[in-house]
Amino acid sequence: MKKLGKKNNWAAYLYILPLMLLSFAVVYYCIIRTFMTSFTDWNGMSPEMNFVGLKNYIKLFKDATFWKSVTNNVIFFFGTVFVQAAVGFFLAVLLKKKLPGSNLFKAVYFMPIAMATSIITAIFRIIMDPTNGALNQFLHAIHLDMFAVSWLGDKRYALLSVIIVNIFQWMGFSMITYYASLMSLPDDVYEAAKIDGAGFWRTLTSVTFPMVKGTTNVLIILGIVGSLKTFDIVKLLTNGGPGRSSTVMNVYLYEKAFKDFKAGEAAAIGVSILIIAMIMSFLQVKFGKED
Amino acid sequence: MKKNWKGAPAAYFVLILCGVIWLYPIGVALIKSFHLNGFDNYKYVLTYEKISYFRVVGNSMFIAITTAVAVTLITTLAAFAFSKMDFVGKKIIYGMILACLAVPVAAVTSPLFAAIKSLGFLDKHIGVIMPLIAFNAPMMLLMIKNYFDTIPDELLESARMDGASMMRIWYEFMIPLCVPIIANVLVLTFIYSWNDYLVPLLVLREQDNYTVTLAAQYFMSSTYQSPTDVARIYAVMMLLTLPSILVYLVSQKFLVSGITAGSVKG
Repeated sequence: MKKLGKKNNWAAYLYILPLMLLSFAVVYYCIIRTFMTSFTDWNGMSPEMNFVGLKNYIKLFKDATFWKSVTNNVIFFFGTVFVQAAVGFFLAVLLKKKLPGSNLFKAVYFMPIAMATSIITAIFRIIMDPTNGALNQFLHAIHLDMFAVSWLGDKRYALLSVIIVNIFQWMGFSMITYYASLMSLPDDVYEAAKIDGAGFWRTLTSVTFPMVKGTTNVLIILGIVGSLKTFDIVKLLTNGGPGRSSTVMNVYLYEKAFKDFKAGEAAAIGVSILIIAMIMSFLQVKFGKED
Repeated sequence: MKKNWKGAPAAYFVLILCGVIWLYPIGVALIKSFHLNGFDNYKYVLTYEKISYFRVVGNSMFIAITTAVAVTLITTLAAFAFSKMDFVGKKIIYGMILACLAVPVAAVTSPLFAAIKSLGFLDKHIGVIMPLIAFNAPMMLLMIKNYFDTIPDELLESARMDGASMMRIWYEFMIPLCVPIIANVLVLTFIYSWNDYLVPLLVLREQDNYTVTLAAQYFMSSTYQSPTDVARIYAVMMLLTLPSILVYLVSQKFLVSGITAGSVKG
């Protein structure tokens, strides 16, 4: 396709210059420095750093806490993405009926995305307090005492609680994405299904869901990206604890960098995250186009 | 559309049930924020000495607005070149910027912190704004470029024939034609920067410079054992979240379509 102006438009560089400068001066600078420091014993503060080869990586691969955090990232991904997608899809189907009040419901489900994680976690920390929290008081009131656990203070439930709060905050994202995708589907498919005598659930599982497969793929990619970015929700709800039970990679990295002052080891964790992140960027663009 | 009423009671049942679940945490916080002392809980927050509510909201406003405007400006300029001009290295440069799409700030914290420190930006708002612009820009570039691609070249070609400069085509044709996506990007970047916690945590030290997200945690780190404390903390959270809820209610349409533009059309 013929573009505006000459074949090689020198002025174009002026238009991309501000963005390029920022991207390279900030993002690429940080990426390259992370790669470099991952081979050093830098403490993050002093100008002094020595080349230590693969030592940080070897230490990392033998580090049980690192693998625990990787596992938690994977659990977090599966726990959040599929529930968010399932609930979001189902609600989107119901909202597509455009019953009176639908817009109000949509606004309610989506609202937590507009709220800061810092504030949502603060509210949940008080609500999830084992004795005085509103959640357990409610569970006791309806005689579900066995579910009134120590949500954030018990090793078995801490990560689950993080997942629950994340679902609360981000379900609306999946819902709105499915909703947009459903609105773009042609109506005649439903008519055809109806003529064939397919009921609500049958239409849902064998007609509607397969047709939004592209959206599901995008949500899975974004879920992996989201899991890789997960930091504040864990840091602020449980700080990775109790013990290491809910630590994720970014929280462990932060601890290594700013508590233990081992920026070299932190950078090695960073590199593992960056490699997956850059593959995901590529997939995000690719799957987004196909949809 | 009579058929849509079929199954309406069941649909309402599910929608209301989920609505209750999703309103519950915020509802509890709102109701309990008036516990014991009523509006005095709010008065306590508004007159709290160590952290000024209005100052904190002002800081977040400044950071979020500056970031949103800067991101919109530099990505609309760049998207114009990527979408409507030919130049050597276009594909590679575009690819390199998009490769940063999924890069988390958290993965590069130590070099970022060291860089901000050596630039003398520690405890300054510019130290928060710069990384936020750089890390939010790739996503927004993708959204705007995809939208620019849908504007036919012929439309701009005719303006070009009339002797308009590229800069004029950018602001007299592209910008007005792309108002919806620009609004999306503005709102989305505003919300993302307003809600960011990690970058302010790395950069800001003095309570006078705190953002809303840091202030919320400042109040959380104080004790909240007595019912009075809990009520006050809830009042803090309600007040701190109020501006972003207002922005959300006013710009809901753009935020929602921004999210969909970013993920569906990816």
